[in-house]
Amino acid sequence: MGIRYLKKYAALEDIVTVEDAETLFGWLKQQAKPAVNLSKCVHVHAAVLQVLLLVKPQVHGHAADPWLAQALGCAPGQASD
Amino acid sequence: MNQTELLDQFILEARDCLEQIGQRLLEVEKSPTDAELLNDLFRLVHTLKGNCGLFEFKPLERVVHAGEDLLDRVRNGTLGYSNDMADALLDAMDFTAQMIDEIEQTGAISSAAEGRSQALATALRAHLAGPAPTAVATQSAPADAPVTATAAATTAATTTAPAATPHVTPAPAWMDRIPTTLLERFPDAVVWRYRPEPECFFKGEDPWLLSRQVPALKHLDVGTQGAWPPVEEADCYQCNLDLVGLSDAPIAYVSDHFRCVPEQVEVIALSALRPAPPVAAPAPVPVATTTPAAVATTVAPTLSVAPGGGQAAANLRKRALQMWDDQIALLSRSGIAPGTVAAVRLSLQGLLRATADDSAALHLTTLLALPANASAAAVGQWAAQHRPTGEAHGDASNATDHPDGLDVHADHPASDGSGLPPGTPPDAARRSSGDDGGHQKVLKVGQEKIDRLMDLIGEMVVAKNALPYLAQRAETHFQQRELAREIKAQYAVINRIAEDMQHAIMQVRMLPVGTVFQRFGRLVRDISRKLGKEVELVVEGEDTEADKNVIESLADPLIHIIRNSLDHGIELPEARRKAGKPAHGTIRVAARQESDRVVIEIDDDGAGVDPNRIRRKAIERGLIPEDKAATLTDTEAVQLIFLPGFSTADTISDLSGRGVGMDVVRTAVERINGHVELSSQFGKGTRLRLSLPLSMAVTNVMIIEAGGRRFGVPMDLIVETVRVHADDIHHFKQAQTTVLRGRIVPLRALHGLLALDDTPHLNEEGEHAVLVVRFGSENVGLLVDQFHGATDIILKPLEGVLAGLTGFAGTALMGDGSVLMVLNPKELV
Repeated sequence: MGIRYLKKYAALEDIVTVEDAETLFGWLKQQAKPAVNLSKCVHVHAAVLQVLLLVKPQVHGHAADPWLAQALGCAPGQASD
Repeated sequence: MNQTELLDQFILEARDCLEQIGQRLLEVEKSPTDAELLNDLFRLVHTLKGNCGLFEFKPLERVVHAGEDLLDRVRNGTLGYSNDMADALLDAMDFTAQMIDEIEQTGAISSAAEGRSQALATALRAHLAGPAPTAVATQSAPADAPVTATAAATTAATTTAPAATPHVTPAPAWMDRIPTTLLERFPDAVVWRYRPEPECFFKGEDPWLLSRQVPALKHLDVGTQGAWPPVEEADCYQCNLDLVGLSDAPIAYVSDHFRCVPEQVEVIALSALRPAPPVAAPAPVPVATTTPAAVATTVAPTLSVAPGGGQAAANLRKRALQMWDDQIALLSRSGIAPGTVAAVRLSLQGLLRATADDSAALHLTTLLALPANASAAAVGQWAAQHRPTGEAHGDASNATDHPDGLDVHADHPASDGSGLPPGTPPDAARRSSGDDGGHQKVLKVGQEKIDRLMDLIGEMVVAKNALPYLAQRAETHFQQRELAREIKAQYAVINRIAEDMQHAIMQVRMLPVGTVFQRFGRLVRDISRKLGKEVELVVEGEDTEADKNVIESLADPLIHIIRNSLDHGIELPEARRKAGKPAHGTIRVAARQESDRVVIEIDDDGAGVDPNRIRRKAIERGLIPEDKAATLTDTEAVQLIFLPGFSTADTISDLSGRGVGMDVVRTAVERINGHVELSSQFGKGTRLRLSLPLSMAVTNVMIIEAGGRRFGVPMDLIVETVRVHADDIHHFKQAQTTVLRGRIVPLRALHGLLALDDTPHLNEEGEHAVLVVRFGSENVGLLVDQFHGATDIILKPLEGVLAGLTGFAGTALMGDGSVLMVLNPKELV
């Protein structure tokens, strides 16, 4: 399904492919308070995961994939800058 | 450079690599603890693997990669080098050589190779599980103390034990990222670390998916290979992920799962790490959140516990210096947020406190004195100036440009691309990198290009030789004396240049005989093992140079000789002991230059040749009549082994006994104008002496005339030229002889030998022109019509259908454009 960009957050749904990484990255960078919703997300491509780890947006919802949830679990919060 | 050129280059380099690898393998077998050698070997295999990776030669890469892994473990001292391992590696090398041949011929590897490749790779990997040699490990332990900073700190803090347990695979640092509870719960599990290459997204890889799908995955930790760049500059398609996981599946499954990216993955079975206590890993450091400050706080306390702990302290110090450098590297990035600068300052403070010596305390005050809003550059400058010094200086400065940022460990195996061992002292590292730069540039040129050059210079010489004829014509035909003189002057210049050029090209074609000797090591090793003999090969003078063609045609005869020595010469160890000799035999191959010839001597201290047995066998095989055999001296009898069809072996083995051995040797050596002599002391050993021309490119010939045609005769065969009066020739049936200096010399008419419809001419005094040539120890006179003096020619062997004409050694182009046939009197008579 990919990503739906909503007013306050980007909804990552189903499988997010590598092509979506760049758009997501661009979108997240523009947001004052970047946020994503992972509740319907089954799998993200490594590039997308990397974007999420890098930008550290606020995560709404709990990712369906436990590994993903765990990987992002330590991502949010204290951004160093 | 297009694909084919690249492939050609690859084949060339691969061959080169293989040759050296083969040599090193044998050397390593002799001194398995020589770190330098092992490093060299590893580097070669590493290069080869890298080259294979450029192309889609999966079977090849798989084998080479397996070999690389194995050697890496050996070189780190975690695995002992054994004969079996050497066998596996040599097998793999042979296979690789085959593949390279196949690639050269067809440009691809047939699918049939897949199976063998798998088998070989498995055989190699089987050795990976082998026991670690206590001796080797202990020896190398100080150099690459296989413990990570944090682990060492914990060991020191909790047990005050020495830093390393030598006979255990060191637990890599990244294992810290797996919770201890899991390590305890799955003692037989497999831990792995997957660091995808930055470009992997462009290859359609999804490292996250691959990691998630690892069979029986129990833990997965996502880290980064380097610190994240600032968000504005980051490239989301440059992979920076560093994945560490734990799986309860067998190691083979996990390895297989990562089969597409073997070079980016480290897979370690926990069982291989025991008895290293898994508790050695402290609470996991969550790398994703590891800001510099966090590192400092986690490391600082452990550091301060350790200062007295010898090796551990040194390791910690090294680690601290690395971190210091990491901070400097971080600061030198552009666009750093003030928060980062503050964090870095914190880390530096922590590091200084941890180093706990006087200068550090001093530095600490200056650091605190820096204005709070100091820029990144200012802090960076300060850090660079006040970098604590330590004996680990070199290593730490290397680490600065290390790609894995925070996760760098000086003793991390296989991660540094330089191929240098982790434990290499810094000066060694510098030396070898300096070597690369300081070396003379070496061009690799295909042989056929040099051959072409040689052909061209040959034509050039011929064309040049036409000038004197032209000058002569100008003078006689056109009455242009002036012009003739000028042509001659020009000729002198061109002649000089052409000669220099010829000389230079000959130099290029010179190869050290060592290129042939290299193969012997392997040969001796394999055959002596097969025969159950102990043989040592001593090679001397491998730098002696000779023309490429000479060297190449030498390979087969020499291999024959060595095989003979191994099979017939050297006795079995018991027999040797009984004869009062050392159990291991010695084969000595020595090359040296003697004036314009290369002499190669092959000695063995084996049984020697039994002249009586030779006589018997020669009679048995009907090679000489019995009465003649009896009259032969021992020295002469020994020479009988050069007769075609001679063999002393009663059964035909795969090594010898077909009766083609020494005969082939002699023919091959004589084909390149060489001689072979054999001397043997029964019971003591045998010596074979090959004498070969340095170069075959230019041949000195004498031109003779017979039946109105001109022929060349190689000068080195000619004994003398004489005029013999027809009355001095004795006729006995068909045979003609004459007496020269008290010796009877048989005479043959060249006309008859070449089937020319003519008879030898007599000059005005009724004399025959006789060319006396040497055949081994005998002289034979050839009746010709006329002598025409000597000349240097470039001999070209006969090709195609003419190649079967053994009576001619080849042809040469003369300056006036005519073709000179060069005779091969040995075959003619």
